[in-house]
Amino acid sequence: MISFSQVTKRYPGGHEALSGVNLAIEQGELVFLIGHSGAGKSTLLKLIAAIERPTSGMVSVSGQNVGRLSHRAVPYLRRNIGLVFQDHKLLFDRNVIENVLLPLDIAGTDRREALKRARAVIDKVGLLKREKANPVSLSGGEQQRLCIARALVSRPALLLADEPTGNLDAGYAADIMAMFRDFHQVGTTLVIATHDDRAISALGGRTLRLDHGKVGEVSA
Amino acid sequence: MIGWLRHQKHALTAALRRLRMQALTTLLTALAMGVAISLPTGLYLVLGNLSGLAGDLPAQPEISVFLDTGVSTAQKQAIAARLKQADIAEARFVPKDDALAALSAAQDLADITAGLTQNPLPDAWIVRPHSTSREELARVADALGKLPGVAETHLDSQWADRLQAALAIGRTGVWLLTGLFAIALVAISGNAIRAQVLARRDEILVSRLIGATDRYIRRPFLYVGALQGLLGGLAAGGVLAVAGGILRAPVERLAGLYGSAFHLLPPTPVEIVAVLALTSLFGWLGAWFSVTRTLRQAEVAR
Repeated sequence: MISFSQVTKRYPGGHEALSGVNLAIEQGELVFLIGHSGAGKSTLLKLIAAIERPTSGMVSVSGQNVGRLSHRAVPYLRRNIGLVFQDHKLLFDRNVIENVLLPLDIAGTDRREALKRARAVIDKVGLLKREKANPVSLSGGEQQRLCIARALVSRPALLLADEPTGNLDAGYAADIMAMFRDFHQVGTTLVIATHDDRAISALGGRTLRLDHGKVGEVSA
Repeated sequence: MIGWLRHQKHALTAALRRLRMQALTTLLTALAMGVAISLPTGLYLVLGNLSGLAGDLPAQPEISVFLDTGVSTAQKQAIAARLKQADIAEARFVPKDDALAALSAAQDLADITAGLTQNPLPDAWIVRPHSTSREELARVADALGKLPGVAETHLDSQWADRLQAALAIGRTGVWLLTGLFAIALVAISGNAIRAQVLARRDEILVSRLIGATDRYIRRPFLYVGALQGLLGGLAAGGVLAVAGGILRAPVERLAGLYGSAFHLLPPTPVEIVAVLALTSLFGWLGAWFSVTRTLRQAEVAR
């Protein structure tokens, strides 16, 4: 589903976040990216979602050369990818359900169908009682679950999560990870960047270690 | 198609919500636009009223044809024959002695005329052509003026021509002003929208990350611009209605003093719709420039 071939990403100023990375991720896989901060985990995820473009090499997602994707085609790629951010990136001028509805509005889904799907996914992350609440009033863990609900509401085949438990205490983090395991079991491909070793051991799956821009496989 | 309509509806409700949420800003922007728009539209209305006034005047245009002092009998007969042609409705000969007598009697100038050793006035014809159109009158006057023995012709409607010429300048002025204020409108709208785009940076960023096209992001702002333009147009309507209300009584009093039943003419529905459509269009245009530019800058910053 995802393949990197000789991918290098150099930022303006000369910092090389990834150097000559090769990797392949199959459909339905659960993959953890680990490594110290600044090792290039976020960059790798951003390349998959076309938020950044590779300096050289080829990134391909579902057969599309993402690095060469035209500006107009990028939105349609992203509609098939759910993104979970460490800082949630929620919109505080609207309530919980409106945040979850945003991807469906963007895709032009019928309103009634959209509401149904939004409620279903909010229920799944356990926020149904808070659907009219403003995200400001939610705890950190709840905000992260809301972010996950928004990422999943359009039923993407691929979910990318950048430090999803980075700001959460252990109880919340275990919650979130259990949720990811459920999605993995229904066939979603997940790529999760984290430095939370407990989570990895609990869930199993494949682990890739990034170190100074190079990727290495970690045997379980 | 249904998806497209759904997007339009969604953008329109989003735009209405944004305008309502910032009611004061919306109101002030509409007022600024309204004042700007009311200047060219007000001038347009004034000109419409003036040309209406010029058109209402009792039209009995006459051409005075003054003959040379040394005109021959043959020439006189030729002129008289010409004045029997089809384009002349009526022609009346005024001999110079009659003219002098009339002058002495009518204008109390007997003292002056009595002192004259000879009659300085020429023989004349007072001619009323069939047609009352300005072009036709000018043509007839011109043709008569070229006849041998005719010293000059004088068209009574000259003052109306001058008014028309002045109105033509006024109309050009309206277009100039309209152009200038259209630019002002685009600038006001663009500025208001730019502030909104910057205030919604986060929303735009997040929307892009979850697959929003530029078109999707731009659409509500375009609706805001168009609606803001529409409100500006309505505000201009309000400004003009108030001005009209204040001016009506004095104008009708002035017209009454001239023995005219002249009333201020309000704009026609077509004109109102046209102005509102134009202000919406220019509001939309300002929003388009502003959003496109700001989004491109955000693209670079990202």
